Amino acid sequence: MKSLTILLLPLLLFAAGPADDWEKIPELKALIDEDTAEVLRRVNAAGYYGVPELNLKKDVNYASTPADLEPFRDVKPYKEHFLLQMEYTGSGRGIPEPDDVKSVKFGFIGPIMSTVSIATGGKSHEEALGIKMLQGTQLAIEEANAKGGYFRRKIPFELVVTNDNGLWGSSGNEIINMAYKDHVWAILGTIDGANSHIAIRVALKAELVMMNTGDTDPTFIETNIPWVARSIGDDRQQAYLLIDYMIRKLDFKRIGIIRSSNRYGRFGVREVRDSCRRLGRPIAMEMAFKLGQDDYSLQLERLKSANLDAIVFWGNAREGGVILNQMRHMGMNQPFFGCDRMVADEFVQLAGHNADGVIAAFPWNPTRDDPKLARFRQAFRKKFNQEPDTYAAHAYDGMNMLIWATQVAGLNRAKIRDILAYRTRPWPGVTGDIPLSAALDDLGDVFLARFDNGGWEYHSREDLKIPRGYIPARDRVTRGSLTGDE
Amino acid sequence: MIRRIAFTLPLLAALLLPARGEDLPYVYTKWKHFTTEDGLPNDHIFAVRADGPRIWVGTEDGLAMIDKRTGKIRSWREKDGLPWKVVTAIDVDPKTGDVWLGLFGGGLARFSGGRFDHYHQLNSGLVNDVVYGVAVENDNIWAATTAGASRYNTVTKEWTIFTEKNAPMEEIWNYAVSYADDKVYLGVWGSGVLEYDLKTGKWKEYLDPDGEMEIDLYRDDGIAHVITTGVSYVDKILWVSSYFGASRYDGRNWRVFYNQDSGLPSDFENNMKARSGNEAWYCTDKGLGAIMDFKTNTWVAYSRDPKTLRGKALVTRDKTVLEEIDLETGVPHSFMIAVDFDGNDVWVGTAKGLGHGIGEGYYPGLRTRPSIVAQGR
Repeated sequence: MKSLTILLLPLLLFAAGPADDWEKIPELKALIDEDTAEVLRRVNAAGYYGVPELNLKKDVNYASTPADLEPFRDVKPYKEHFLLQMEYTGSGRGIPEPDDVKSVKFGFIGPIMSTVSIATGGKSHEEALGIKMLQGTQLAIEEANAKGGYFRRKIPFELVVTNDNGLWGSSGNEIINMAYKDHVWAILGTIDGANSHIAIRVALKAELVMMNTGDTDPTFIETNIPWVARSIGDDRQQAYLLIDYMIRKLDFKRIGIIRSSNRYGRFGVREVRDSCRRLGRPIAMEMAFKLGQDDYSLQLERLKSANLDAIVFWGNAREGGVILNQMRHMGMNQPFFGCDRMVADEFVQLAGHNADGVIAAFPWNPTRDDPKLARFRQAFRKKFNQEPDTYAAHAYDGMNMLIWATQVAGLNRAKIRDILAYRTRPWPGVTGDIPLSAALDDLGDVFLARFDNGGWEYHSREDLKIPRGYIPARDRVTRGSLTGDE
Repeated sequence: MIRRIAFTLPLLAALLLPARGEDLPYVYTKWKHFTTEDGLPNDHIFAVRADGPRIWVGTEDGLAMIDKRTGKIRSWREKDGLPWKVVTAIDVDPKTGDVWLGLFGGGLARFSGGRFDHYHQLNSGLVNDVVYGVAVENDNIWAATTAGASRYNTVTKEWTIFTEKNAPMEEIWNYAVSYADDKVYLGVWGSGVLEYDLKTGKWKEYLDPDGEMEIDLYRDDGIAHVITTGVSYVDKILWVSSYFGASRYDGRNWRVFYNQDSGLPSDFENNMKARSGNEAWYCTDKGLGAIMDFKTNTWVAYSRDPKTLRGKALVTRDKTVLEEIDLETGVPHSFMIAVDFDGNDVWVGTAKGLGHGIGEGYYPGLRTRPSIVAQGR
């Protein structure tokens, strides 16, 4: 885990800032530690024209990337991005809180209703994930209301739910509606990478926090937008662990990829492909498929002929199960690795005994012994009579982060953003600790899930003694040597 | 001792030269502010467009027009017929005088003869209602939307949609559009700049050759970054803004500007507009950065002090400060969103009001002049 250091300026320097009421509200006071209180004082002092006098997060290395996995590692780049936290320098902090508010609204956008998929031209395919995401969000809201709602005014939180059907960029319209018509204070969503990008561009102009809990596309956060945060480990982190396991530990020489042709597959395997090449084991063959296919023999015949040591799959659970079965049926017995979407009941049911030994990268460890997680599971089961999945758990964490930031900041979008962005400690989520990087991305631990004996077992890097490349403690531009830390 | 003298002499010379007069750019020292107190419908300014005596202003809650001849401000909100309140882009048809508005989530509108005509996803060929940029090209209106670009021919009423299916858009998230010299330029978030040649109907793309999001490998190998926000083509020079740095292309060579090597106030640029091949203005989140002389990398950066609320103009060459001018009134806010030129004057839309820089005695490039004395002190 990358250590996050925010050094507050010496307290003595501070004198300004309006008196706030939070110290008089016990429930609110319990949410505000000493660091947060100082952040809040400085945020409140900024007004229309200033920015909080707070140090920005500074990462020494982008995304904890080992030196041998850095792009163009033998060249010192002219400029390196994403190491210094983005500031919001607009006028939003000066906007007064509205008087007449009956509830504190948050927006939800996700794939929750069946529609036509751009990727397949047929039925959409992400509703199962989106509905779980919505349930996790609803549970967080319900619990917050049970504790008294928005403490400063004793009014409830309310969720404005919208479907993200991905057609013609409709997610942008939905964000506009939530920003300007529903007057939400922050938004949680979504899953599809393209829709997420559209949504955050709108959020940037409308000046509204977007908390992403389900899109693992690494480029989501690589946009320099100060209004975006993510509470789930991305495909970059998951790919680093997977490749370290496959190459640094198991020493596979010839790796093949089969992936979906949509954005999720295209961007998901980028770090797998690049990492293999950078470690001197370029991907021997990469095949793409359209979502919704039943016959993958064209792709698998080619992969079979490539004499592979292992295969990496990146796509949805259904396709993963069907492809694995067809592989085994064709006599392809290579180890099968893949993305977190395989860790789903649908994959296990389809793959049957073929699922044994399958390994997937996974953004958290759901079997962790943690009272918070146990409480969440129990509450989720009670409310929905279902088991929560990864989308539900991350959404629960993400919404709780938004609720906390809103309780602390008050009804001001810019201040809500600030409280999240300047948070000094990792968020203690049910999915584990969530430390936000300078780019406000989740840099918490990721895991490998292995299916054995009818269930998934989750292993950390330490459990499996997976070697890691050297991670320099200096940025690339000022580093003394190209790969070292002089 | 010798080393100390060698270091000190150039420093002294740099300090003394402006007093004696040296080649310096024009600096806007007279600014006027417009806010809701003056009649604007909202202080969050998203677009500004100068059209002769009329200054059109797009805000987060309505459209306004400043009549320079009378000084009066008219405004339109939804109750006045404006189809949607958030106006993010404005262009004016030079032949008809029609005002074309890009509406943020509301599509496209034509304001003509006191009437608004509304074009949106459900009644036209507009590809998406989230419009970031609009440009008039001959009889055509181009709209940069979040899901592609649309072109509307005002004579034939024909719509054409440009997406990844018929243009080299790796991503379809269009952000900016401009027209000059028979070419239309699209600034596409994630896809750099696309150039559409009206004569050939062909596209050309400008990307960052290293293809990586987290680094710029070489400074001048191409566009600074593919997440572009503004594009302006003047005197056969292409100027580009992005959230990662600024770029200039002369058809043969690129030059990229970052805060670390120029007077650009920040690498986060919301928009830009070029005045010539030598002068371009960048709207950043930390001030208005104007490169006033390309050859010498001479910039003027305008900002507002958050504590004193006084203005500041910082004249730099490379990273050397040549002048720091304190202004009683400068730009309204340091978070810049839009800019347009009006003869010698300049108009800037900010997060908190509209600014009018009065260009009395404006000159392009550099001139030998003495240092400017602080205003109002």
